[in-house]
Amino acid sequence: MNRVTILFLALVSLGFIIATFDVRSDGDGVANVLREGTQSVFTPFQKGVDWVTTPVVGFVDGVSNLAGLRDENDRLAERVRELEAEVRATDALEEQVTQLELINGLEVAGELATVTARLYSGGVSPFDNARFIDKGASDGIVVGQAVVDEDGLVGRVDLVSANDARIRLITDPLVSVGVRVQSTNETGIVSGRGDGPLRLEMFRANEAVYVGDLVVTDGSRFPPGLVVGTIAETADAEVGFVLRSSVEPAANLSEVDYVKVIVGFTPVDVSLEESTTESVTSTTASTTSSTTTTVQGDS
Amino acid sequence: MLRSRVVIAIAAVAIAIVLQTTVFGSGRIEPFGVAPALVTLVVIAVAPYVEDEVTILLGFTGGILMDLIGSGTLGLWAMSLTVVAFIASRISGRYADSVVRSLLAAFVLTLVGQLVYVILGTLFGQETAGEPNVVSKIVLPAMWNVILAYPVFWLMRVVFRPRDRSFVP
Repeated sequence: MNRVTILFLALVSLGFIIATFDVRSDGDGVANVLREGTQSVFTPFQKGVDWVTTPVVGFVDGVSNLAGLRDENDRLAERVRELEAEVRATDALEEQVTQLELINGLEVAGELATVTARLYSGGVSPFDNARFIDKGASDGIVVGQAVVDEDGLVGRVDLVSANDARIRLITDPLVSVGVRVQSTNETGIVSGRGDGPLRLEMFRANEAVYVGDLVVTDGSRFPPGLVVGTIAETADAEVGFVLRSSVEPAANLSEVDYVKVIVGFTPVDVSLEESTTESVTSTTASTTSSTTTTVQGDS
Repeated sequence: MLRSRVVIAIAAVAIAIVLQTTVFGSGRIEPFGVAPALVTLVVIAVAPYVEDEVTILLGFTGGILMDLIGSGTLGLWAMSLTVVAFIASRISGRYADSVVRSLLAAFVLTLVGQLVYVILGTLFGQETAGEPNVVSKIVLPAMWNVILAYPVFWLMRVVFRPRDRSFVP
Protein backbone atom coordinates (compact mmCIF):
# COMPACT_ATOMS: atom_id res chain seq x y z
CA MET A 1 0.00 0.00 0.00
CA ASN A 2 1.49 3.36 -0.99
CA ARG A 3 1.41 6.64 0.91
CA VAL A 4 -1.56 8.07 -1.03
CA THR A 5 -3.75 5.07 -0.32
CA ILE A 6 -2.84 5.14 3.37
CA LEU A 7 -3.72 8.84 3.55
CA PHE A 8 -7.00 8.18 1.77
CA LEU A 9 -7.98 5.39 4.15
CA ALA A 10 -6.93 7.48 7.16
CA LEU A 11 -9.08 10.44 6.08
CA VAL A 12 -12.10 8.28 5.29
CA SER A 13 -11.72 6.67 8.72
CA LEU A 14 -11.46 10.12 10.29
CA GLY A 15 -14.61 11.21 8.46
CA PHE A 16 -16.38 8.10 9.73
CA ILE A 17 -15.33 8.83 13.31
CA ILE A 18 -16.45 12.47 13.01
CA ALA A 19 -19.82 11.41 11.58
CA THR A 20 -20.35 8.84 14.33
CA PHE A 21 -19.38 11.37 16.98
CA ASP A 22 -21.76 13.95 15.48
CA VAL A 23 -24.67 11.51 15.38
CA ARG A 24 -23.96 10.40 18.96
CA SER A 25 -23.75 13.96 20.24
CA ASP A 26 -26.91 14.90 18.32
CA GLY A 27 -25.13 17.83 16.66
CA ASP A 28 -24.42 19.59 19.96
CA GLY A 29 -21.23 20.44 21.81
CA VAL A 30 -17.98 20.80 19.89
CA ALA A 31 -19.70 20.30 16.54
CA ASN A 32 -21.98 23.26 17.18
CA VAL A 33 -19.05 25.47 18.18
CA LEU A 34 -17.20 24.49 15.00
CA ARG A 35 -20.29 25.15 12.86
CA GLU A 36 -20.79 28.59 14.39
CA GLY A 37 -17.11 29.42 13.97
CA THR A 38 -16.99 28.32 10.34
CA GLN A 39 -20.20 30.14 9.50
CA SER A 40 -18.95 33.34 11.12
CA VAL A 41 -15.85 33.19 8.88
CA PHE A 42 -17.88 32.62 5.70
CA THR A 43 -20.77 35.00 6.49
CA PRO A 44 -19.11 38.28 5.38
CA PHE A 45 -18.08 36.71 2.07
CA GLN A 46 -21.50 35.16 1.53
CA LYS A 47 -23.25 38.45 2.26
CA GLY A 48 -20.88 40.32 -0.06
CA VAL A 49 -21.31 37.89 -2.94
CA ASP A 50 -25.06 37.79 -2.34
CA TRP A 51 -25.24 41.59 -2.45
CA VAL A 52 -23.24 41.75 -5.68
CA THR A 53 -24.90 38.88 -7.52
CA THR A 54 -28.54 39.22 -6.48
CA PRO A 55 -29.50 41.67 -9.31
CA VAL A 56 -27.70 39.58 -11.93
CA VAL A 57 -29.11 36.31 -10.65
CA GLY A 58 -32.58 37.89 -10.46
CA PHE A 59 -32.26 39.04 -14.07
CA VAL A 60 -31.15 35.58 -15.25
CA ASP A 61 -33.97 34.01 -13.28
CA GLY A 62 -36.48 36.50 -14.74
CA VAL A 63 -35.35 35.92 -18.33
CA SER A 64 -35.49 32.16 -17.92
CA ASN A 65 -39.07 32.43 -16.64
CA LEU A 66 -40.26 35.01 -19.19
CA ALA A 67 -42.39 32.60 -21.14
CA GLY A 68 -44.46 31.64 -18.15
CA LEU A 69 -44.92 35.15 -16.76
CA ARG A 70 -48.04 36.08 -18.75
CA ASP A 71 -49.92 32.92 -17.74
CA GLU A 72 -48.72 33.37 -14.18
CA ASN A 73 -49.96 36.98 -14.18
CA ASP A 74 -53.45 35.96 -15.36
CA ARG A 75 -53.59 33.19 -12.81
CA LEU A 76 -52.51 35.52 -9.99
CA ALA A 77 -55.04 38.19 -10.98
CA GLU A 78 -57.80 35.61 -10.77
CA ARG A 79 -56.43 34.38 -7.44
CA VAL A 80 -56.37 37.96 -6.06
CA ARG A 81 -60.06 38.39 -6.90
CA GLU A 82 -60.90 35.12 -5.14
CA LEU A 83 -58.84 36.07 -2.08
CA GLU A 84 -60.40 39.52 -1.84
CA ALA A 85 -63.81 37.87 -1.66
CA GLU A 86 -62.51 35.45 0.98
CA VAL A 87 -61.01 38.29 3.03
CA ARG A 88 -64.34 40.13 3.10
CA ALA A 89 -66.06 36.97 4.32
CA THR A 90 -63.31 36.28 6.86
CA ASP A 91 -63.42 39.82 8.26
CA ALA A 92 -67.08 39.42 9.06
CA LEU A 93 -66.48 36.04 10.72
CA GLU A 94 -63.52 37.37 12.68
CA GLU A 95 -65.62 40.15 14.09
CA GLN A 96 -68.25 37.63 15.15
CA VAL A 97 -65.65 35.40 16.81
CA THR A 98 -64.12 38.33 18.70
CA GLN A 99 -67.48 39.35 20.03
CA LEU A 100 -68.32 35.79 21.07
CA GLU A 101 -64.96 35.40 22.84
CA LEU A 102 -65.49 38.63 24.72
CA ILE A 103 -68.97 37.58 25.70
CA ASN A 104 -67.68 34.25 26.98
CA GLY A 105 -64.76 35.81 28.84
CA LEU A 106 -62.10 34.19 26.66
CA GLU A 107 -58.79 35.75 25.81
CA VAL A 108 -58.89 37.60 22.52
CA ALA A 109 -56.51 36.36 19.85
CA GLY A 110 -53.06 37.75 20.54
CA GLU A 111 -50.51 39.25 18.25
CA LEU A 112 -47.11 37.63 18.11
CA ALA A 113 -43.96 39.67 17.74
CA THR A 114 -41.91 38.81 14.67
CA VAL A 115 -38.55 39.81 13.24
CA THR A 116 -38.25 40.20 9.48
CA ALA A 117 -35.09 38.69 8.04
CA ARG A 118 -33.53 38.12 4.65
CA LEU A 119 -32.11 34.84 3.41
CA TYR A 120 -28.56 35.37 2.21
CA SER A 121 -27.31 31.84 1.85
CA GLY A 122 -28.76 28.55 0.70
CA GLY A 123 -27.77 24.98 1.23
CA VAL A 124 -24.42 23.50 0.21
CA SER A 125 -26.05 20.71 -1.78
CA PRO A 126 -29.47 19.55 -3.01
CA PHE A 127 -29.67 17.39 0.11
CA ASP A 128 -29.17 20.32 2.45
CA ASN A 129 -32.27 21.91 3.94
CA ALA A 130 -30.53 24.71 5.84
CA ARG A 131 -30.83 28.40 5.00
CA PHE A 132 -29.12 31.36 6.65
CA ILE A 133 -30.84 34.61 7.63
CA ASP A 134 -29.31 37.98 8.45
CA LYS A 135 -30.79 38.31 11.94
CA GLY A 136 -29.57 36.60 15.09
CA ALA A 137 -29.48 36.59 18.86
CA SER A 138 -29.12 40.37 19.00
CA ASP A 139 -32.57 40.60 17.39
CA GLY A 140 -34.14 38.27 19.95
CA ILE A 141 -33.90 35.11 17.90
CA VAL A 142 -33.33 31.85 19.79
CA VAL A 143 -33.16 28.21 18.76
CA GLY A 144 -36.54 26.60 18.16
CA GLN A 145 -38.53 29.62 17.01
CA ALA A 146 -40.88 29.27 14.06
CA VAL A 147 -40.03 30.87 10.74
CA VAL A 148 -42.83 31.85 8.36
CA ASP A 149 -43.34 33.72 5.12
CA GLU A 150 -46.51 35.25 3.69
CA ASP A 151 -47.81 31.79 2.70
CA GLY A 152 -47.10 29.76 5.81
CA LEU A 153 -44.56 27.88 7.90
CA VAL A 154 -41.06 27.78 6.41
CA GLY A 155 -39.07 26.05 9.16
CA ARG A 156 -37.48 26.49 12.55
CA VAL A 157 -34.39 28.21 13.85
CA ASP A 158 -31.73 25.63 14.72
CA LEU A 159 -28.49 27.59 15.11
CA VAL A 160 -28.02 31.17 16.26
CA SER A 161 -25.06 33.50 16.37
CA ALA A 162 -25.06 37.17 17.30
CA ASN A 163 -26.15 38.57 13.93
CA ASP A 164 -27.12 35.50 11.92
CA ALA A 165 -29.16 32.38 12.30
CA ARG A 166 -29.62 29.11 10.50
CA ILE A 167 -33.09 27.80 9.78
CA ARG A 168 -33.96 24.22 9.03
CA LEU A 169 -36.75 23.96 6.47
CA ILE A 170 -39.88 21.93 7.23
CA THR A 171 -38.87 19.59 4.39
CA ASP A 172 -35.85 18.43 6.42
CA PRO A 173 -36.28 14.82 7.57
CA LEU A 174 -35.16 15.86 11.06
CA VAL A 175 -37.99 18.42 11.44
CA SER A 176 -41.33 17.28 12.85
CA VAL A 177 -44.25 19.60 13.50
CA GLY A 178 -47.38 18.97 15.53
CA VAL A 179 -50.36 19.87 13.36
CA ARG A 180 -54.15 20.02 13.29
CA VAL A 181 -56.29 19.37 10.24
CA GLN A 182 -58.66 22.30 10.30
CA SER A 183 -61.67 20.54 8.79
CA THR A 184 -61.67 17.66 11.31
CA ASN A 185 -59.88 19.41 14.19
CA GLU A 186 -57.81 16.25 14.72
CA THR A 187 -54.10 16.36 15.38
CA GLY A 188 -51.09 14.61 13.92
CA ILE A 189 -47.44 15.07 13.06
CA VAL A 190 -45.90 16.16 9.79
CA SER A 191 -42.26 15.48 9.05
CA GLY A 192 -40.05 16.35 6.12
CA ARG A 193 -38.87 13.97 3.44
CA GLY A 194 -36.03 16.09 2.16
CA ASP A 195 -38.06 17.53 -0.67
CA GLY A 196 -41.62 17.81 -1.95
CA PRO A 197 -44.73 16.99 0.11
CA LEU A 198 -44.44 16.40 3.85
CA ARG A 199 -45.34 13.11 5.53
CA LEU A 200 -48.49 13.31 7.71
CA GLU A 201 -49.22 10.75 10.43
CA MET A 202 -52.33 10.92 12.61
CA PHE A 203 -52.41 8.36 15.40
CA ARG A 204 -55.95 8.87 16.69
CA ALA A 205 -57.82 9.97 13.60
CA ASN A 206 -61.52 9.23 13.46
CA GLU A 207 -62.32 11.12 10.29
CA ALA A 208 -60.92 11.04 6.78
CA VAL A 209 -58.82 13.84 5.36
CA TYR A 210 -59.39 15.14 1.85
CA VAL A 211 -57.25 16.81 -0.77
CA GLY A 212 -57.17 20.55 -0.11
CA ASP A 213 -57.94 20.38 3.63
CA LEU A 214 -55.95 23.04 5.44
CA VAL A 215 -53.27 21.87 7.90
CA VAL A 216 -52.13 24.26 10.65
CA THR A 217 -49.78 24.05 13.63
CA ASP A 218 -51.32 22.67 16.81
CA GLY A 219 -49.48 24.93 19.24
CA SER A 220 -47.14 22.39 20.86
CA ARG A 221 -43.81 23.54 19.44
CA PHE A 222 -44.88 26.48 17.28
CA PRO A 223 -47.65 29.04 17.82
CA PRO A 224 -51.02 27.50 17.02
CA GLY A 225 -52.80 28.30 13.80
CA LEU A 226 -49.80 28.83 11.50
CA VAL A 227 -50.57 27.47 8.04
CA VAL A 228 -48.37 24.46 7.22
CA GLY A 229 -49.99 23.39 3.96
CA THR A 230 -52.85 21.46 2.45
CA ILE A 231 -53.61 17.75 2.29
CA ALA A 232 -52.21 16.33 -0.95
CA GLU A 233 -53.70 12.83 -0.72
CA THR A 234 -57.13 11.79 0.50
CA ALA A 235 -56.89 9.16 3.26
CA ASP A 236 -59.51 7.28 5.27
CA ALA A 237 -59.37 6.82 9.02
CA GLU A 238 -59.46 3.23 10.25
CA VAL A 239 -59.76 2.22 13.85
CA GLY A 240 -56.46 0.92 15.22
CA PHE A 241 -54.44 2.15 12.26
CA VAL A 242 -52.37 5.26 11.78
CA LEU A 243 -53.81 7.61 9.17
CA ARG A 244 -51.04 8.37 6.71
CA SER A 245 -51.19 11.06 4.09
CA SER A 246 -49.04 13.84 2.65
CA VAL A 247 -49.15 17.60 2.95
CA GLU A 248 -48.16 20.07 0.25
CA PRO A 249 -46.28 22.91 2.01
CA ALA A 250 -48.02 26.29 1.70
CA ALA A 251 -44.73 28.17 1.49
CA ASN A 252 -42.85 27.96 -1.79
CA LEU A 253 -39.60 26.94 -0.16
CA SER A 254 -37.45 27.29 -3.26
CA GLU A 255 -38.46 30.93 -3.79
CA VAL A 256 -38.20 32.30 -0.26
CA ASP A 257 -36.25 35.57 0.00
CA TYR A 258 -37.67 37.17 3.15
CA VAL A 259 -39.05 35.46 6.22
CA LYS A 260 -40.45 36.37 9.61
CA VAL A 261 -39.15 34.74 12.75
CA ILE A 262 -41.81 34.55 15.43
CA VAL A 263 -39.99 35.74 18.52
CA GLY A 264 -43.05 36.30 20.66
CA PHE A 265 -43.69 32.62 21.34
CA THR A 266 -41.44 30.47 23.49
CA PRO A 267 -41.25 26.94 22.11
CA VAL A 268 -41.98 24.25 24.69
CA ASP A 269 -38.81 22.22 23.99
CA VAL A 270 -36.55 25.26 24.11
CA SER A 271 -37.96 26.49 27.38
CA LEU A 272 -37.08 23.12 28.87
CA GLU A 273 -33.61 22.95 27.34
CA GLU A 274 -32.40 26.50 27.74
CA SER A 275 -32.83 28.31 30.99
CA THR A 276 -31.81 31.61 29.41
CA THR A 277 -34.45 31.58 26.71
CA GLU A 278 -37.06 33.32 28.80
CA SER A 279 -34.86 36.28 29.57
CA VAL A 280 -33.77 36.64 25.95
CA THR A 281 -37.34 36.48 24.70
CA SER A 282 -38.56 38.93 27.28
CA THR A 283 -36.15 41.54 26.00
CA THR A 284 -37.23 41.06 22.41
CA ALA A 285 -39.52 44.06 22.31
CA SER A 286 -36.75 46.48 23.15
CA THR A 287 -34.02 44.96 21.00
CA THR A 288 -36.10 44.59 17.84
CA SER A 289 -38.05 47.79 17.79
CA SER A 290 -36.82 48.75 14.32
CA THR A 291 -37.70 45.49 12.63
CA THR A 292 -40.41 43.96 14.77
CA THR A 293 -43.89 43.62 13.33
CA THR A 294 -46.75 41.44 14.37
CA VAL A 295 -48.47 38.38 13.02
CA GLN A 296 -51.92 37.12 13.99
CA GLY A 297 -51.93 34.03 16.12
CA ASP A 298 -54.57 32.41 18.28
CA SER A 299 -52.42 31.87 21.36
CA MET B 1 6.08 26.67 -4.95
CA LEU B 2 4.19 23.76 -3.40
CA ARG B 3 2.96 25.94 -0.56
CA SER B 4 1.60 28.59 -2.92
CA ARG B 5 -0.26 25.92 -4.90
CA VAL B 6 -1.78 24.53 -1.74
CA VAL B 7 -2.91 28.01 -0.69
CA ILE B 8 -4.41 28.65 -4.13
CA ALA B 9 -6.17 25.28 -4.07
CA ILE B 10 -7.69 25.93 -0.64
CA ALA B 11 -8.74 29.42 -1.72
CA ALA B 12 -10.39 27.96 -4.84
CA VAL B 13 -12.38 25.53 -2.70
CA ALA B 14 -13.39 28.29 -0.26
CA ILE B 15 -14.57 30.50 -3.13
CA ALA B 16 -16.49 27.55 -4.56
CA ILE B 17 -18.27 27.08 -1.22
CA VAL B 18 -19.25 30.76 -1.09
CA LEU B 19 -20.58 30.64 -4.66
CA GLN B 20 -22.33 27.33 -4.01
CA THR B 21 -24.29 28.79 -1.08
CA THR B 22 -25.06 32.16 -2.70
CA VAL B 23 -25.17 32.20 -6.51
CA PHE B 24 -26.25 28.56 -6.70
CA GLY B 25 -28.15 28.64 -3.41
CA SER B 26 -31.84 28.04 -2.96
CA GLY B 27 -34.05 30.22 -5.17
CA ARG B 28 -31.08 31.38 -7.26
CA ILE B 29 -29.52 29.56 -10.18
CA GLU B 30 -30.95 26.09 -9.76
CA PRO B 31 -31.98 24.67 -13.15
CA PHE B 32 -34.76 22.11 -12.58
CA GLY B 33 -34.43 22.70 -8.85
CA VAL B 34 -30.90 21.35 -8.50
CA ALA B 35 -27.65 23.35 -8.50
CA PRO B 36 -24.22 22.25 -9.78
CA ALA B 37 -21.78 20.69 -7.32
CA LEU B 38 -19.17 23.40 -7.61
CA VAL B 39 -16.90 22.27 -4.78
CA THR B 40 -16.66 18.78 -6.25
CA LEU B 41 -15.83 20.27 -9.64
CA VAL B 42 -13.07 22.44 -8.22
CA VAL B 43 -11.48 19.44 -6.49
CA ILE B 44 -11.53 17.54 -9.79
CA ALA B 45 -10.14 20.53 -11.69
CA VAL B 46 -7.33 21.19 -9.21
CA ALA B 47 -6.17 17.54 -9.11
CA PRO B 48 -3.90 17.70 -12.21
CA TYR B 49 -1.92 20.63 -10.80
CA VAL B 50 -1.09 19.48 -7.27
CA GLU B 51 0.42 16.43 -5.60
CA ASP B 52 -1.86 13.43 -5.03
CA GLU B 53 -1.67 13.85 -1.26
CA VAL B 54 -2.65 17.50 -1.57
CA THR B 55 -5.66 16.57 -3.74
CA ILE B 56 -6.90 14.11 -1.14
CA LEU B 57 -6.38 16.57 1.71
CA LEU B 58 -8.15 19.22 -0.36
CA GLY B 59 -11.13 16.93 -0.91
CA PHE B 60 -11.34 16.23 2.81
CA THR B 61 -10.98 19.91 3.73
CA GLY B 62 -13.59 21.04 1.18
CA GLY B 63 -15.95 18.33 2.38
CA ILE B 64 -15.58 19.15 6.06
CA LEU B 65 -16.20 22.84 5.30
CA MET B 66 -19.37 21.90 3.42
CA ASP B 67 -20.42 19.77 6.38
CA LEU B 68 -19.79 22.63 8.80
CA ILE B 69 -21.81 25.10 6.75
CA GLY B 70 -24.58 22.66 5.89
CA SER B 71 -27.11 21.07 8.19
CA GLY B 72 -26.28 17.43 7.57
CA THR B 73 -24.22 15.06 9.67
CA LEU B 74 -20.65 16.23 10.07
CA GLY B 75 -18.16 14.17 8.06
CA LEU B 76 -20.40 12.89 5.26
CA TRP B 77 -19.28 15.36 2.59
CA ALA B 78 -15.73 15.01 3.92
CA MET B 79 -15.81 11.29 3.17
CA SER B 80 -17.58 11.75 -0.18
CA LEU B 81 -15.17 14.36 -1.47
CA THR B 82 -12.19 12.38 -0.16
CA VAL B 83 -13.35 9.47 -2.33
CA VAL B 84 -13.75 11.83 -5.31
CA ALA B 85 -10.33 13.36 -4.66
CA PHE B 86 -8.70 9.94 -4.33
CA ILE B 87 -10.07 8.80 -7.72
CA ALA B 88 -9.21 12.19 -9.26
CA SER B 89 -5.63 11.90 -8.01
CA ARG B 90 -5.35 8.44 -9.56
CA ILE B 91 -6.68 9.41 -13.00
CA SER B 92 -5.85 13.12 -13.29
CA GLY B 93 -2.96 12.32 -15.63
CA ARG B 94 -5.41 10.79 -18.06
CA TYR B 95 -7.87 13.69 -18.23
CA ALA B 96 -5.50 16.63 -17.74
CA ASP B 97 -4.63 17.01 -21.41
CA SER B 98 -7.95 16.27 -23.06
CA VAL B 99 -11.13 18.37 -23.12
CA VAL B 100 -13.42 15.42 -23.76
CA ARG B 101 -11.86 13.32 -21.02
CA SER B 102 -12.00 16.29 -18.63
CA LEU B 103 -15.74 16.70 -19.21
CA LEU B 104 -16.22 12.97 -18.81
CA ALA B 105 -14.22 13.00 -15.57
CA ALA B 106 -16.31 15.93 -14.27
CA PHE B 107 -19.50 13.99 -14.98
CA VAL B 108 -18.45 10.60 -13.60
CA LEU B 109 -16.64 11.88 -10.51
CA THR B 110 -19.49 14.23 -9.58
CA LEU B 111 -21.89 11.33 -9.97
CA VAL B 112 -19.67 9.23 -7.70
CA GLY B 113 -19.52 12.02 -5.10
CA GLN B 114 -23.29 12.51 -5.02
CA LEU B 115 -23.89 8.75 -4.91
CA VAL B 116 -21.43 8.18 -2.06
CA TYR B 117 -23.10 11.02 -0.13
CA VAL B 118 -26.54 9.46 -0.60
CA ILE B 119 -25.30 6.07 0.60
CA LEU B 120 -23.50 7.55 3.61
CA GLY B 121 -26.45 9.82 4.41
CA THR B 122 -28.73 6.80 4.47
CA LEU B 123 -26.30 4.83 6.64
CA PHE B 124 -26.12 7.71 9.12
CA GLY B 125 -29.91 8.14 9.34
CA GLN B 126 -30.50 11.14 7.08
CA GLU B 127 -32.95 9.25 4.83
CA THR B 128 -31.25 10.68 1.73
CA ALA B 129 -31.95 7.61 -0.40
CA GLY B 130 -35.65 7.89 0.41
CA GLU B 131 -35.95 11.51 -0.66
CA PRO B 132 -38.25 12.34 -3.57
CA ASN B 133 -36.25 13.29 -6.68
CA VAL B 134 -33.14 11.57 -5.31
CA VAL B 135 -32.14 10.45 -8.80
CA SER B 136 -32.26 13.99 -10.19
CA LYS B 137 -30.29 15.21 -7.14
CA ILE B 138 -27.56 12.74 -8.07
CA VAL B 139 -27.59 13.11 -11.86
CA LEU B 140 -28.34 16.82 -12.44
CA PRO B 141 -25.33 18.21 -10.52
CA ALA B 142 -23.14 15.93 -12.64
CA MET B 143 -24.73 17.29 -15.83
CA TRP B 144 -24.39 20.94 -14.73
CA ASN B 145 -20.78 20.24 -13.77
CA VAL B 146 -20.10 19.12 -17.36
CA ILE B 147 -21.34 22.53 -18.54
CA LEU B 148 -19.24 24.37 -15.94
CA ALA B 149 -16.20 22.12 -16.38
CA TYR B 150 -14.77 23.95 -19.36
CA PRO B 151 -14.53 27.41 -17.72
CA VAL B 152 -13.47 25.97 -14.35
CA PHE B 153 -10.72 23.80 -15.87
CA TRP B 154 -9.58 26.76 -17.97
CA LEU B 155 -9.50 28.97 -14.86
CA MET B 156 -7.44 26.43 -12.93
CA ARG B 157 -4.98 26.21 -15.78
CA VAL B 158 -4.62 29.99 -15.83
CA VAL B 159 -4.19 30.14 -12.07
CA PHE B 160 -1.73 27.28 -11.69
CA ARG B 161 0.07 27.62 -15.05
CA PRO B 162 1.61 24.15 -14.91
CA ARG B 163 4.94 23.45 -16.56
CA ASP B 164 4.92 19.71 -16.44
CA ARG B 165 1.29 18.89 -17.18
CA SER B 166 -1.05 21.08 -19.15
CA PHE B 167 -4.72 21.28 -19.91
CA VAL B 168 -5.35 23.00 -23.21
CA PRO B 169 -8.99 23.96 -23.66
